Amino acid sequence: MPLDPYLKEALVAKLTALADDEVVLAQRLSEWVGHAPILEEDIAIANLAQDELGHAKLYLELRQELDGADPDRLVFLRDPLEYQNAILVELPKGDWAFTLVRQYLFDAYENLWLKEAQGSAYEPLAEAASRILKEERFHLRHSALWVERLGLGTEESHRRAQEALELLFPYAKQLFIPLPEEEALAEAGVVPDLRALEAPYLEEVTRHLERSGLKPPQGGYVPKSRKEHTEYLWSLLAEMQSVARWDPEAKAW
Amino acid sequence: MWGTEWPRYEVIKQDTPKSPPQMVGSVHATDPEHALLLARHVFVRRPSAYALFVAPAEAFFHVTQEGLKGPWSEGLEEGPEEAYWVFAKRSHRRSMVYGDLVGRFLAKGPASAIREALLHAQGVAFWAVPERLVVGTEPKEEVIESWFAPAKDKTYRLQSYYGLVTAKEVEDAP
Repeated sequence: MPLDPYLKEALVAKLTALADDEVVLAQRLSEWVGHAPILEEDIAIANLAQDELGHAKLYLELRQELDGADPDRLVFLRDPLEYQNAILVELPKGDWAFTLVRQYLFDAYENLWLKEAQGSAYEPLAEAASRILKEERFHLRHSALWVERLGLGTEESHRRAQEALELLFPYAKQLFIPLPEEEALAEAGVVPDLRALEAPYLEEVTRHLERSGLKPPQGGYVPKSRKEHTEYLWSLLAEMQSVARWDPEAKAW
Repeated sequence: MWGTEWPRYEVIKQDTPKSPPQMVGSVHATDPEHALLLARHVFVRRPSAYALFVAPAEAFFHVTQEGLKGPWSEGLEEGPEEAYWVFAKRSHRRSMVYGDLVGRFLAKGPASAIREALLHAQGVAFWAVPERLVVGTEPKEEVIESWFAPAKDKTYRLQSYYGLVTAKEVEDAP
């Protein structure tokens, strides 16, 4: 399907935001490598991080087809103010409960979004979505399992999971706030209508959280735009981009 | 601290619908469902798989080639008759797997199950585990797609494939 120029620009922005969520989350996950509570989970979390990066690559390659932008430059040489990730994924990794509750909230959103995106009128996006969904279904199994075990485990694990949820839950709702030009894309059937996904999302995660003995908080601050960031994004990107910025001309690694 | 470690589960991987399930290693996990997920992370990141099974490591009865010569099998087992999965290590050759499933055998104990298996299979060591303790992935298309299919698209590369950081141009890379 040839995209008209206005849709093309909107899709470039959307693909970038999708990729930024994945890149930033992957970086946070990778901070656990060598520090996870047990070797097997250390390997697991490295796998999750690598998968998320792979998904970012798919989204940025779709963008490259549209405007020629180099994925590596976008990830490693773009300034924090231009990053379009949701605040949810940039918050520091916290404890194990914080990391897994965040992962669950994000995985549940991604699964819903990808299921719908498989029907995108833009064929390359539909294909990418169905490829990514395969892995994300497994991610969701893993994070949902952890939420249940933390919530119903010991008094301490329950307390930590509930505290994480109090902080994270309002931020998860930001995932359902569309980009400024996204409505036109949704109308053209290129991307799912985000706002229509919020109610089923809240219903699904509330059911699982409550089954796990956890209580989603009411209210809280929901960021209005993906231009909003916390100070944590700056230090995250400074570290992630340090090698590339140190030798930006390097062609082989 | 001693005694805080999660229990260990043996991991059994089946590569294709037709190949035998093989013991490939173990994971520490909180419960069988968790063990299956970790087994997927640890053992199926790259190579292909069709199904995974786990069972508590402590539930395995094990006998070596030397043990086979001894009086291990003389005592009469009088447990309830049930199905056992029996695995055999085929040779001393170095291998990534250590036991192939040789079959399911009804017996009143693991040693009897292995005795039964010896009528059908050769091996230098054997393991037996009650089937009721084995938990596997569901053989559904959805599970195969999300647990195992993605690994097939990924390239496995030895570390020597990657060049060194020193080169400025790809052609200069060693």
